[in-house]
Formats: sequence, structure tokens, C-alpha cells
Amino acid sequence: MFTNLTKLDLKDKKCMSDAGSPKLCMKALPGEGAERSCAYDGARVVLMPITDVAHLVHGPIACAGNSWDNRGARSSGSQLFRRGLTTDIMENDVIYGGEKKLKESILEIATRHDPKAIFVYATCVSSLIGDDVDKICQEAEKELTIPVIPVNCPGFLGDKNIGNRIAGEVLFDRVIGTGEGSDEKIPLAINLIGEYNIAGDLWGVLPDLENLGITLQTAITGDANFDDLRSAHRASLNVLICSKSLTNLVRKMEIRYGIPFIEGSFYGIHDISETLIKIATALEDPDLLERTLVYVKTKEEETRKTIARYRTLLENRQAILFTGGVKTWSMVSTLAELGINILAGGTQNSTPEDFQRMKALMDPSAQIIEDTSSAGFLKIIAERKPDLIVAGGKTKYLAHKTRTPFLDINHGRKLPYAGYQGMIQFAETLTRTVLSPVWGHLRREFPPKEGEQDD
Amino acid sequence: METKTKATTAWLNTVEYREKNFAREKLVINPAKACQPLGALLCALGVEGCLPFTHGSQGCTAYFRSTLSRHYREPIAAVSDSMTEDSAVFGGQSNLIEGLKNAYAVYNPKVIAIFTSCMAEVIGDDINAYLGNAREQEAIPQDFPVAQANTPSFKGSHITGYDTMLKGLIDCLATPRQEDKINDRLYVVPGFDTYPANLREYKRLLKMMDAPYTLLPDYSDVVDAPNLGTFELYQKATSISEMNDALNAASYLLCQTYSTPTTSKYLASKAVPFETLSMPIGVAGTDKFIESVAKFTEKDVPEEITMERGRAIDAMTDSHQYIHGKKFALFGDPDVLIGLVSFLLEMGGEPVHIVCTNSTPLFKKAMESLLASSPYGQGATLYAGKDLWHLRSLLVTEPVDMLIGDSHGKWAARDANIPLVRVGFPITDRVNLHRYPIIGYSGVINLITMIVNTFLEDVDRNSPEAYFEMMR
Repeated sequence: MFTNLTKLDLKDKKCMSDAGSPKLCMKALPGEGAERSCAYDGARVVLMPITDVAHLVHGPIACAGNSWDNRGARSSGSQLFRRGLTTDIMENDVIYGGEKKLKESILEIATRHDPKAIFVYATCVSSLIGDDVDKICQEAEKELTIPVIPVNCPGFLGDKNIGNRIAGEVLFDRVIGTGEGSDEKIPLAINLIGEYNIAGDLWGVLPDLENLGITLQTAITGDANFDDLRSAHRASLNVLICSKSLTNLVRKMEIRYGIPFIEGSFYGIHDISETLIKIATALEDPDLLERTLVYVKTKEEETRKTIARYRTLLENRQAILFTGGVKTWSMVSTLAELGINILAGGTQNSTPEDFQRMKALMDPSAQIIEDTSSAGFLKIIAERKPDLIVAGGKTKYLAHKTRTPFLDINHGRKLPYAGYQGMIQFAETLTRTVLSPVWGHLRREFPPKEGEQDD
Repeated sequence: METKTKATTAWLNTVEYREKNFAREKLVINPAKACQPLGALLCALGVEGCLPFTHGSQGCTAYFRSTLSRHYREPIAAVSDSMTEDSAVFGGQSNLIEGLKNAYAVYNPKVIAIFTSCMAEVIGDDINAYLGNAREQEAIPQDFPVAQANTPSFKGSHITGYDTMLKGLIDCLATPRQEDKINDRLYVVPGFDTYPANLREYKRLLKMMDAPYTLLPDYSDVVDAPNLGTFELYQKATSISEMNDALNAASYLLCQTYSTPTTSKYLASKAVPFETLSMPIGVAGTDKFIESVAKFTEKDVPEEITMERGRAIDAMTDSHQYIHGKKFALFGDPDVLIGLVSFLLEMGGEPVHIVCTNSTPLFKKAMESLLASSPYGQGATLYAGKDLWHLRSLLVTEPVDMLIGDSHGKWAARDANIPLVRVGFPITDRVNLHRYPIIGYSGVINLITMIVNTFLEDVDRNSPEAYFEMMR
């Protein structure tokens, strides 16, 4: 939150060795601002976009009440995943146990809501009172014809990244490869791992894949349906596109199903092209590679031509970049594409590797934000006076108080920025943000100082 | 066990499904309540220099902050002591002590408000004992004020949490009542009220009536902070000195009934006089508030207020025809529902479905007698403890003209193809509504504006050319 981390006694100093590098090995400090969410939330982030299944939260109202339909993941089909299903654990359940309630709830959902599967999320309370979610799911499954999948992710296990990993394990153990159809590999089929179709991002990438003749087996898990996920093992390649939180999943899929993986990003012209070429190369199809090389060149030219007018408007502006995940390094080149200089950059949730990559891409004169807390963030805004800030939604309203144009690139946004099409959208939205007349009014002194004209 | 599912949308819209849906006991679908600690957090924001502090797992606080931040479009400050698996085994004492130490050192608060989330409550942490140890270990100074509230999410709702925290704050900060030191002020408690504009409206009315007052808690400037170019962690709120003197209040006016029972019981136990009102929504509700304040000040109601009331009544006469006879469904917190229903009845609007997830037996009785008191309330049913999925069934099988409630109602409204007028919490898909009061006479005008113009917008959009008119 608004912590000045340098004021605190950090237990694990070695993690701080590289200035500004995210402190992944560090647990959240008690009394520190509650910036990070919990393992439960991390698991929900990964699994909740699965569209045609029911997501049942076995917990008190807080866990589901504050989080149903709050992520902005889009679906082209079923909207069932957005229904806020919970057992709403009450005091009596804490005393007598909530297993019966859970089982009844599962059966009710199966009968009346027609899900392809039910994911059941354990929470702090259900775990502490000793409810055996695994057992109840097994029991219920015996009575039903659909999978009932426990997700053991009580919040107290740690932060969001741990929950992401748990979700990866659940997908690997309980979903992928469990379908009844063929197990045969589909040539030129890929999975996009860590793409959640926030604001419809995935749909910005699909046309490019289609144009090249690449099939999307499934995204994990944006706009995914359960059956496609079950057959994810039939893909010929895994493309990991959001940080490293699902690395465990792709490694395991490589071992069990022989699916190689690459990393990529669909943000920014440079990275989109590079990722498409990497995909074509990894699929080992010479024709495809040749097609791709031509395609990306055309698309690059086309896109650059379209965004030229935005570039003219944005060029030479100074930005602060503060983000997490894959966007960290991808955003550096995206902003460079628009002629924007990065004054300072920092990251909160990325892995140290992602951070190093971002650092390498930035101009050496760019400052690394060492204190990645909000206090540090505010300090750097005051010192460097950027023309714009590109960051995740948590800092949005804080940034607004400093009267600096702000673009949310995280899940709070409403517009897709992925793919060549997304790049245009990004440029357009950023231009509208930066050139909004409100910033001028905000910066004008009022009442005007003596001798100064109020223009 | 039915083996075949027939959960098609068409079936979900049938009376047959409605019956099955209302037979549902264990499962909650699309809940219309938040948890206790969220209410406690909001309450704690209303005391000057107060830092909200959750004793529990860290995710809880991240959720509260993001929910409040999305509603207000403001940064919301709160900390957590981030209990983990170890704490489940050994108790949360070390987290609490380290958390207090860090929070005190980093944020420099005047007071810390500790409230619990589920984990601490399930393992049975004794906060009071831990707090003593924290002082002993000099994590915080001996005399540093720390308010406490036990607010597990598996009990009550956000309004209960607000109430418990309010009691905790008074109990922590106020000096014992001394009959020779009674101050001249009326302490006005808004209750769980998410509208900063409501809080400002109370203050405006109290000033106009020349009443010496303290609004407690007052987070209006925290959740609606002016943009002056810098971020301030602490904004103006109920001052510490007014908190210190809170039990010496001449009297209390509690402006909500169901979000204040713990506080009123506490006040009674300290022999502090108080009066509990219904939330002053609508003319009659506002009249009662004004009368209570006038009784306290022993002064006449100023002419300005009579004029304001007259303007509200004028607005009602101008637009009665758009509301009279229209059918409404409503959902939300008990106090807001009582207020909205009495306003609708004043206008001749007909409430049909009233869903209250965090209902209480007392509320149920009060709502039923309110409905019985008016010819327009005869067709209404209160659905206590039901959720927004129940509401959906009601709307599609027994249609109404409009739904009133928070943003979570937008699915049900869409499925029933009726407009949703957003009142309550959270409102995350419209701007600025928290900046318009719904209480007082100006609240009457605002509610009419929102409801009637929404109807008229619909009429214009859907009317054939022959009936498309300049006058409505």
C-alpha cells in the first residue's frame, strides 16, 4: 500500500540485492499495506475465466461476496462462470462443519445450472474448520455425471502467485488430458497459457493466428470451455504469455505430453511479431515460418501507418512505467513504439527474470524504481514529473491525485490492447488519456498568483 | 436426484423454476451483501488520523480496498497483519505485534482501528491480550490508542461490522461520562452510509439549524477527497478531541436503525441519551430528522429549511404522474430499503419485490408495518435473507417496471429487461452517484430525478415516431 519499504526492517535482505527487483521470496510484511491479494484470489484469477463451468466458493461471504464477476474476463459463449456461487459459511457451519452444506450446494448447481464441471474453492475458514473439500467433491462426483474439482487454495497459504500455481496443478491433475476424445496431436495447434481474455485481449490475437493458419486449441484460460481445456494436451506447442506463474504447468505438460513451450507477449508491435515468428519456428513448419515472416512485415507496416498520427502526438513524452507480469518488459517496447521515453520503471509482481529483461530494454538513463511501494511511487512522480503513467489499476486513483495522466494496463481496463489491433487501441486510448484537456485545468494555479495571467 | 438438467434460459424464467429456486436453502447465488470487516474499515476511515488494520489473512484487506476503491474511485488506505499458515498453528500474536510496530512506524497514525477477519476468529485469537503484549514489547507506546472490533465474515454483514467498529472506536477513545462535564453537542451517527454527499447533507442541515454537532464517523473527505495535486493519507474526519468527548455528548442521534444496535446498546449502558431514527429518505423521514434536531436545539426550524422542503414537495407534485402506479423491485441494506420504500409510498409508487439479504426479524416487522400503512404497499412482499438469483426469478415471473439497488443488480435487470436505478453499495459502473445525497429534502429531489428521468429516457428511446414528443 502506501508503504515506504525502506523504513522497514526487511527480514530477507538478499532478495533486495538487485535494486528494484521484485521481492518474490519475501512474504508480505505484517502492517505493510495490503497490496497483494491471497492464494485464493490467485487461484480464482487463473480458473475463473473458464466459461461453461460453475465456480463454487466454499467460504464466508467475504471471499465470494467481494469477488464475484469482478475480473473483466470476457466469454464468447456461456456466461455461467460469472455467476457468484457460494456456500456463505455462517457461524453455525463454523461450529458444526460445512460439509453437508457444501455437498447440497454442489448437487443443486449440477442439477439446475447445467455446468460442464464444478470447481470448488476452499477458503481460510473451510480449511481451518477442517471441512474435507476433497472428500465431498469425490462423493458428489459419484452421484453426478460431471467432474467436481476441488481447489485447495485457502488465502493463508500466501499471496497470489501461490494461488496461480495451485490452479496450474489443478488443471494439470484434473482437467488436461481427461477428455474422452482422441489424444492425437493436432498440427499447428497451440495453447496460450496465461491469457485470460481480459477486456477481450484474446480476440485481438485470434485473427492473426487464423490468418496464419495456426489453430488455437485453447487459451488457459481466457474464453476457454471445459472440453477444449481437457484436450489441451493435443496442442503441439504451449505459448506462455503471463509472467512465470504457470511455468509449473507448461513444464509438466512438456514432460507428460511432450509439448514444448516458448514464452511470448502480444503487447506491442515488436513483441507480437517476435512471438508469432517464435511460434512459427517452434511449430517447425517451413511454410508457416515463411508465411509468418511476410505476414508480420505487412502487419507491422500497416499498424505503424495507422498509429503514426498517435505517435506524432505522443512523441518525446516522458513516462513512468510501473507494472507486473509480462507487461513489464513488453510495455517498454510498446511505449518506445510511440516515441515515449521511459523516465523510470518498476515492477511489483513480476519475477526477477522479467525484471532483468525490462531493465535491459530500457534506456540506461532510466531510473529503476527501488522503492516499489506506493510511497516510493508518489515520491518518484513528485521528483520526475512524468507526462504520463502506465501502470496497474491499484495505483490509478493515487496517480490521479498527483494530476498525472494515467493509463490502466491491468485487469481494471475495459479495452483490449493485445495483438496488432490492440496496439492501435492502446495508442488511441493513450493519446486520449494524455491529451485530455482536464490535466491542463488541473495544473493551473488557482486562485492565480499575483501578476500571473489566468489563461 | 434429477439426472437430466434442463437449465436452459427459458426454463430459468419459468414459475416452475422459481419454486425450485425458492426451495434452495444452502447455496447462495449472486449475494447482495458484503462482510463485517468491510463495514468496519469504512467506519474507521471516519476518525481523524485513524489507520484501519485487519487482523487476518492479507487477501481480505486487498478485497475490501479494491471494492471501496472501485466504488469511490479513490485510493483507500488500510493495512493487514497478513496471517499465514504458521499463524493458524501458533496463533496470530506475532503478526499482530509486528504489524502494529510496522504500521505505527510507517504511517504515523493517531489511532489504529483493529478489526478481525475470519481466520483470527476461527482460531480464537485474543486481541486484547495480544495488544497488552504489544505494548509491553514496545511495538507501540503504552498510551497509544488502539480500537478493537471482532468482525468475522461468517456472522452478520458489513452493517454489523460498521456498528461493532463504531462502538470500539468510542470505547477506545472516549473518556468516561461525567455528569458535570456534559458538552453541548449532538453527536449524529449516519450509520453504514456510503454516500459522502449524505454526510455533507447532514452537516449542512445541522449548520442551518444552528445545532452544535459532531458527525461520527465522518469519512466524507476521505472517500471523496479534493484533487489538490498531492495525495494525503489522512484527511479531515471526526476529530480526536470530539472522540475523546464522545461519551459526554449531550445526546446522540442515530440516523439508521439496523446498522447501529450495538452502538446504541453501548450508549445506553453508559447512560448517554440517544434517539434512533429511520434513515431520513423521503419527506416524512426527513421531517422526523429535522424535528429531532429542532427538539434538541429548542429553536424554531429556520425558514430556509421550510423553503427547501417546499421545493422538494413541488418537485413531487411536478412528477407524481411518472411514479404513481409504477411497480418497483428493490434490494439493499435494511435502512436504505425502509427509506426508499417510504419515499416510493409517498409518491404512489408500488413496491412489489423487496429483497434484503442481511435482513433481521426487527427489520422484517418494521418493513411489514410500513407496507401495511399505505394502500400502495399492499402488493409488496419482503424476501428476507434471499439473494439476487431469487430476485431474478421474481423479476422474470412477476414483472415490475423498475429495479432499484446497487450495481450487482444489473444482471437481473438485464434478464428482466427493465431499468436499474442505482442506489446503495457498491456502484461500480456509474460515476458520481455518491456525490448526490439521497437523504434530506435535496435527496427527495435527487431520487425523483434519477427515477423519473430513467423512465422518460426509456419512453423516448422506445416510442414510435407518432408518439415521440417534445413534452413528456
